[in-house]
Amino acid sequence: MYQWLDDRLSIGKLYAKAFRKAFPVHHSFFLGEITLFSFITLVLTGIFLTLNYEPSIRPVSGSLSGGQEVPAAYYSILYIDSLPFGAVLRSLHHWAAHIMIAAAFLHMLRIHLTGAYKNPRELNWIVGVFLLVLSIITAFTGYALPFDNYALTATKIGYEIGAAAPWVGKLLSDILFAGELSPTNAQTIPRLFPIHVLWLPLALIGLIGAHLTIMIKQKHTQPKYAEKVAPGKIVGVPLFPQQAAMMGILFLVYIAVTTFIAGAFLAHPVQAFGPPTANTPPVKPDWYFMWIYGILQIIPANWRFEFLGATFGPQFWGGILVPTIIILGALAIPFLDYAKNKQRYLELPSQHPFRTSFVIGMLMFYIMSTLAGYKVDLSLSNGLLWVLVFIVPVITGVVSYIIMKAVYGKDWNQEVEVKLIGKGSAADD
Amino acid sequence: MADHEATAHHHEHHPEDPQAQATRRAILQAAIGVSAGAAVLSTLWVGAGLVPREEKIPSKEPVAAGDILVFATGPKAEQEITLDDLRAAQGEKIPFIIAFPKSPENVVKKDLITNTLMVILADPAKMSPETKQYASPEGVLAYSAVCKHLGCTVSQWQNDTWLCPCHGGKYDIYNQAKVVGGPVPAPVPQLPIKVEGGKVVVAGEFLGKPGADV
Repeated sequence: MYQWLDDRLSIGKLYAKAFRKAFPVHHSFFLGEITLFSFITLVLTGIFLTLNYEPSIRPVSGSLSGGQEVPAAYYSILYIDSLPFGAVLRSLHHWAAHIMIAAAFLHMLRIHLTGAYKNPRELNWIVGVFLLVLSIITAFTGYALPFDNYALTATKIGYEIGAAAPWVGKLLSDILFAGELSPTNAQTIPRLFPIHVLWLPLALIGLIGAHLTIMIKQKHTQPKYAEKVAPGKIVGVPLFPQQAAMMGILFLVYIAVTTFIAGAFLAHPVQAFGPPTANTPPVKPDWYFMWIYGILQIIPANWRFEFLGATFGPQFWGGILVPTIIILGALAIPFLDYAKNKQRYLELPSQHPFRTSFVIGMLMFYIMSTLAGYKVDLSLSNGLLWVLVFIVPVITGVVSYIIMKAVYGKDWNQEVEVKLIGKGSAADD
Repeated sequence: MADHEATAHHHEHHPEDPQAQATRRAILQAAIGVSAGAAVLSTLWVGAGLVPREEKIPSKEPVAAGDILVFATGPKAEQEITLDDLRAAQGEKIPFIIAFPKSPENVVKKDLITNTLMVILADPAKMSPETKQYASPEGVLAYSAVCKHLGCTVSQWQNDTWLCPCHGGKYDIYNQAKVVGGPVPAPVPQLPIKVEGGKVVVAGEFLGKPGADV
């Protein structure tokens, strides 16, 4: 049997080339894999959802809606929830999306803190930034699909932010949502549905393919200890069988934990929100949009001017300009912090105090602007929030820089000691 | 015959004539450039089909004088709002009603977002003169309920102010919906209102442009 397959597919060659790929052993290297597992989970649960979902808002009524006439898209969610484990699978789709974005963010953070984006991996950093942005956009296009009052209101804010882009915003928003987003616009769901289940996932698959191909081609960055253990060599465990076994176990643990979360915390109870009406419930975006939502709350309303027929107002500053600057900044990082020679080894965050404290400052900015999202709930004043959002991150960055210099500064010229306990222990670590 | 000669001539000519080669390359490059440009333009042209077509239907007409206000939501949806309904709402946690206009031809104009209205029975003594001018003598006031910030329906009430639940925009309904809090760029326009036979009737056009200001 093996011989038969080997004759046709040259498995032996494939084994030697691909299956022996070395994986560095460190738990932070699993963050990318968790992102991938989330994507796989999203595709699988998404298949289940599409098979039961009706992308239309034609009015239907039935026992699930208590005889009330509701949009078909909304009704099909009630139907999915009524299926055996239907609500759990829908919930799993929801939580896997959150975990994917969180894991991708942490994965990026790990790359950033260790300088792994440097020459020759600039390209893969850029692909990674696009992957994160595209994942968030994909998640956003799924918001409106249950077509309940909460989902539609939350999406409506996105529509108006898009429309705030100068000159072309209204046009782009209208193309994405097929006209103004409203409870009675029959074209919106038929447009968002294929974008969410077909075109964006296809784009994601393409980018993930490119991301992994480049990674295999360039090989993983090596942890710092690898330089001591075997300088110039690649240290790690082979993909098959060791890494594959670990990945398999991690995938099972991932599925077990997320399914537990999905079952214990059922996401987005559409029945509680009801079908969309002219009324607006109090909405909050998901955590990965909360910082934009917070910034929108604290920008003064009178910060606006007209220029060549376009309005530049608070929605533009907070909803479009700030995120664009951050995305462009992320894309520029490998070129601002450039290594002339090819980098093989990860850098220790403690030896790069500027970069590390910059990351800590940015995280603080993210946390503080997220806090601003709770302005009304916590009755925080605008002045205080401005200090929290724009001054506190700078102070945090400066203070952590000073602390790092004081604590680690004197050791920079010393070689890092790596203690080896027995032979090959680093590889088994 | 002449044709064949010309071809043959050209063939043996060009290897040793860099000038002719350069000309030919320039022409080819221009041709590639023009066709790439044409391809992009025609894609945009076809892509224009993605812009949704505006449909002219009676339920999408803007609010007009003579329209009667009806409930937009709730168990009484699409029923005419009476003075008694507004009186009953006065003591509630949310003392106003979200409404749609209904044309004299009995079409509820609910398919245009900017037709979402807020109607309230308020104390005329608290109103500014301009606000009072466009309210009914009984104190019935109406505004566009579409928040000027990002288009949510302003649907909450907090300490005597009208609150948008999306980003905390606050309006003073007694003073032409002047903005008193939040990131809202402008007040929502007032809608002149009168009461006829216990029904709430639109008396004129919006005093400004309704809808989110982006």
